[in-house]
Amino acid sequence: MIRTLIFLVLALTLSCVASLHLGLRVYAPETVWSALNGGASTEEIIIRTLRVPRTIIGALTGAALAISGLLMQSVTRNPLAEPGLLGINAGAAFAVTVGLTVFALSSPLAIGALAVIGALIATALVFGFGLTLGPSGNTGPILLIGVTIAALLASLTQVMLLLDETALETLLFWLSGGFADRPLIMIWGGAIALPVALIACASMASGIDALRLDDQSAQGIGVGVTRIRLAALTLAALLAAAAVAMAGPVVFLGLIAPHIARRISDGSRGFFHLALITMLCGAVLAVLADILARLIVAPGEAPISAVLALVGAPFLMYLLRSRRAVAL
Amino acid sequence: MDGVIVWTLRLPRVVLAVLAGMALALAGALMQRALRNPLAVPSILGVSDGAALGVVTFLWLFSNESNALTVSVHWLPVAAILGACGLAALIAILALQDPRPNDPLRLILYGVAMSALAKAAVTLMMIIGPVYRAGQALRWLTGSVNAAHWSDVAVVGGGLFIAVPVLIMARLPLNQITLDAASAQSTGLAVNRSRVALLILSVLLTALAVSQVGAIGFVGLIAPQAARLYYGQFTLGYLVVTALIGGLLVLTADTVARMILYPLELPAGALTALLGAPLFLTLLTRRQNVQS
Repeated sequence: MIRTLIFLVLALTLSCVASLHLGLRVYAPETVWSALNGGASTEEIIIRTLRVPRTIIGALTGAALAISGLLMQSVTRNPLAEPGLLGINAGAAFAVTVGLTVFALSSPLAIGALAVIGALIATALVFGFGLTLGPSGNTGPILLIGVTIAALLASLTQVMLLLDETALETLLFWLSGGFADRPLIMIWGGAIALPVALIACASMASGIDALRLDDQSAQGIGVGVTRIRLAALTLAALLAAAAVAMAGPVVFLGLIAPHIARRISDGSRGFFHLALITMLCGAVLAVLADILARLIVAPGEAPISAVLALVGAPFLMYLLRSRRAVAL
Repeated sequence: MDGVIVWTLRLPRVVLAVLAGMALALAGALMQRALRNPLAVPSILGVSDGAALGVVTFLWLFSNESNALTVSVHWLPVAAILGACGLAALIAILALQDPRPNDPLRLILYGVAMSALAKAAVTLMMIIGPVYRAGQALRWLTGSVNAAHWSDVAVVGGGLFIAVPVLIMARLPLNQITLDAASAQSTGLAVNRSRVALLILSVLLTALAVSQVGAIGFVGLIAPQAARLYYGQFTLGYLVVTALIGGLLVLTADTVARMILYPLELPAGALTALLGAPLFLTLLTRRQNVQS
């Protein structure tokens, strides 16, 4: 089992190294090395100020979204659950659009901050509606409420953008998600959120494992079902909010990384182990997709979500066919 | 003059909105039932994305350098239907060849994966292609009924005309299939056969509706759930309520979209969620209060 982890860490290291070298311009290893050691030529500065940040942001965003998706799928027992279903992306996009069209806020830092605020308000709305339904064990409603609120916010955003074409042009880049040219300060969000999330996952692991049973059985062995579910969803929302601040709305990654992780990990291990593997899978997937995004429509850049689908979907289907079924 | 406008522009538009909403809502209800997952609807499992891929490919293949179509635009719906059915067939083949073909989860995952692939292909084609084509595709992807014609009405109406008798016959299996597999089998239901039949019906209804009005979202997801909250038991009445909510939702969305920023017209698909979401949330909370 340690083997899977070592393999994934190796894969992550390799893809990060590749990400520093590859792109519209391919740099030689010695250039990259001297850039990392503080070289001052134009090329080296480009590597240090563009390639390095986007690689780090890609890995952190991938890791955060992957754990967020795993938490959501685990506690709702729905394989279609993903961070976007808590209204994260729609809320962030809505807040950023309002910020630009109403208050003319367009600096990268303001956009990042607005994204977090919007994501958290949308999630709070989803939870608020969910809680008015009482502490029921049934998780169907919370996902439906999430989809509904996400659709509502997306619709409002779309109408605002239809009315304001200049805003659309300014925001199109941010709205399609990606790891390039993002405000560096946001890295701290991810760098703090991830370790905290891992500690929280470790402490919740036994409870989440018990949730694999039906709610009654879980309650029967002394697990506070509602409490654990609320805690896990809150953690998922915070992670996804950190991700959206770093990279804008990135879809599909939070959905697919946990499914891939489940199929390459040993199902008998507990939730924490799965969380580690999921996190690494997400980071590798994000960095690889980012490399491809630079290459496939060069000299332009492809949207990261589209590339994630091109990489992730065939891989998921391959794993579905090649291995035994793994329960959620 | 006004009479002509009402007859050739307004009336087909109204009827098409209602029929398309009905078809999308019923298709959503069938798929949610057959796969026993409230999120498993044609728009999430790739049927609409298949149609979108068909449309974008069509615009790609049959445009000349000056961005004019080289064939009649009336073939566009055919491309949409082919795309939707083609992608659905691909998902079905993948699911049937799977080591565990009877597990709805497998089908759902294949659907999500194929849907994502189709979406990615659409995005990339829109980026690579000229801007004009992207605009045309975007308009189609949002979905609207503003160019409605009586022939469009006939296509969707024809689909519903065939689907409704089948649904009346299928009401018992629709109830049984919500039980777990073993119990459903013991009620005498051929679970897999019924599931496949319901899914095919759902795909066809979606394909027909989407080919005429574009990828109007949210209706298939929310109308069946709202009907369940409003009506409760899964019976024929539930299907009727689902269809009515779906039709009403698209019709209201289109009417509001036409009026709200006059003379600018918004696409109806941009407003279905704006109008449907508050309705659904109200129903959800109200019903819960009644219960407690």
